Amino acid sequence: MVSEVKTGVLPLSVVTMTSLRPVDLTEHWNNRGISAAGETGSGGFNVWRNSFPAEYLPPPGAQVEVDGVPFRFGGPDPAGDNIRCAGQYVELPEGRYDWIHLLTAAERRTEDTVALHFAGGEVDFESLRVSDFWARAHAAFGEAKAFETPVMHYPHHVQPRVEALMWSQRVPVTRRAPLRGLRLPRNIAIHVFAMTLQTPGEPVAERS
Amino acid sequence: MSTTPPAAPALWYRDLISCLQSTLAAALLREGRDPVDALGAHWEFLFKPGDVTSEEFYYPCRYPGDLGRSLAPHHGLSTTWHRPADPGDPLEDVRRALKDGHHPVIAVDNFHLPFRPAYQDVHAAHLIVVYGLDEAAGQAYVSDAMPPAHAGPIPVDALLAAWTSANPKDVQDAFFSDSAIGGRYLTVTVGDAPATTPAFVREVLTAGVAGFEADRDTAGWGGLAGVRDFTTSLADRARAGDARALEEAYPFGWGMQAQAALHAEFLRSCGTRWELPALREAGRLAEHVAHAWTGVRITAAHGRRDPAAAAPDLARHGGRLVAAYEAAVAGLREAAGFL
Repeated sequence: MVSEVKTGVLPLSVVTMTSLRPVDLTEHWNNRGISAAGETGSGGFNVWRNSFPAEYLPPPGAQVEVDGVPFRFGGPDPAGDNIRCAGQYVELPEGRYDWIHLLTAAERRTEDTVALHFAGGEVDFESLRVSDFWARAHAAFGEAKAFETPVMHYPHHVQPRVEALMWSQRVPVTRRAPLRGLRLPRNIAIHVFAMTLQTPGEPVAERS
Repeated sequence: MSTTPPAAPALWYRDLISCLQSTLAAALLREGRDPVDALGAHWEFLFKPGDVTSEEFYYPCRYPGDLGRSLAPHHGLSTTWHRPADPGDPLEDVRRALKDGHHPVIAVDNFHLPFRPAYQDVHAAHLIVVYGLDEAAGQAYVSDAMPPAHAGPIPVDALLAAWTSANPKDVQDAFFSDSAIGGRYLTVTVGDAPATTPAFVREVLTAGVAGFEADRDTAGWGGLAGVRDFTTSLADRARAGDARALEEAYPFGWGMQAQAALHAEFLRSCGTRWELPALREAGRLAEHVAHAWTGVRITAAHGRRDPAAAAPDLARHGGRLVAAYEAAVAGLREAAGFL
């Protein structure tokens, strides 16, 4: 990543290198939000038991890239393919990070709080904001649209013209300290399908 | 009736509204009104114990029987519920309304509507607009902005089945079934409305704050005190295993959530138009209320089968909802000072 910085007197070109590390969430999966067309009744993303159509999403376990961020897509697993947020604590590979990227969707637009746990015992609370997964929803919080499917799965049929939406949202890590864990919101409207950590950009060259 | 397809009304939709707002918006747009101005200017909280019905379009009316005036008291909007004068020929009411240039908003059971996802599957009470009738062809023209949006003909028989349905209790839908449709329909009138000026917005903000801060409300549990009472009661009833309380929270909360979201959009729009950051910030605080409703509604909806287990999370989301309303009301007061 190269950017030009105006310092007031001298333009600087700063080269930064970040790395992006997908996090394995398999042990936390507790919801099946994706179903195949032949078994739409197996899904239950929302209270009406609608689900994302598998035919229009990456295959289970695939690595996908959304706006330059790689994610490891969920499944197949008997426990499901996503986390319905209920206050789960997710252990993270300890390290310095700037952003936590999430592939996420919500049963109606909502915002709640995640707790960032640092190696020294500090805890910071940050907002997690997720737009609706339901048809014609917009990115109310400026997320990147990860997937928009042309159909929605209902328990007994495949419904055209009702789209299902999944978003790429991010949470900032403002504390310059090693992060070791994340407490998800106690908010079952929010679902997390994948998580990727972004390390800080380390300057590798200064002053052109 | 003419065989030329009638012009379809505009379809107006937002992600947090229900068929109540989308159908009233269709009437407002026919009169050249901005639905955000009309439906978003007024904001209040009102819970009427024992009043909630299992219908997508439920709303606690401050003006009994008048959904339009309750939603938009500043904008000359008014609605009246009717039932067909002749149950043997319910279409006569539709014919008369269309002949007079009106588009009736009719209650329906989605189970009978071919364009709804619930068709032949789930019973659920809903509202649609009827904008034409071609009885020779056996077709009624209806519009529905809720996804999947539809504007076009359906068989008259389907319309009648949906409109006169008993909407029986359906285990697939605990929130919008078990409420007889019975041929109900709304007529909508759109009267004079004030221009959206800074002085008008200051007036509605001041009135809104006063409503939220009132000590008592003769219409029900109103204002901030009403929010506190409702959320406390919901958690208490959940602890006591009262599934009905949780089932009610979903349709009741929809109206409250939609109104908060539209008020937020109204304030953001005005704040952008007039370059008033404080107004945009007040809008964002109202929007936060709408988002806090999601936690309450979805936790209640999923928790209805085991209310006691859901009680702690309902108490938590209730607390967040109260805090969101309190912050928003403070924001409204502050924004009014800039107008």
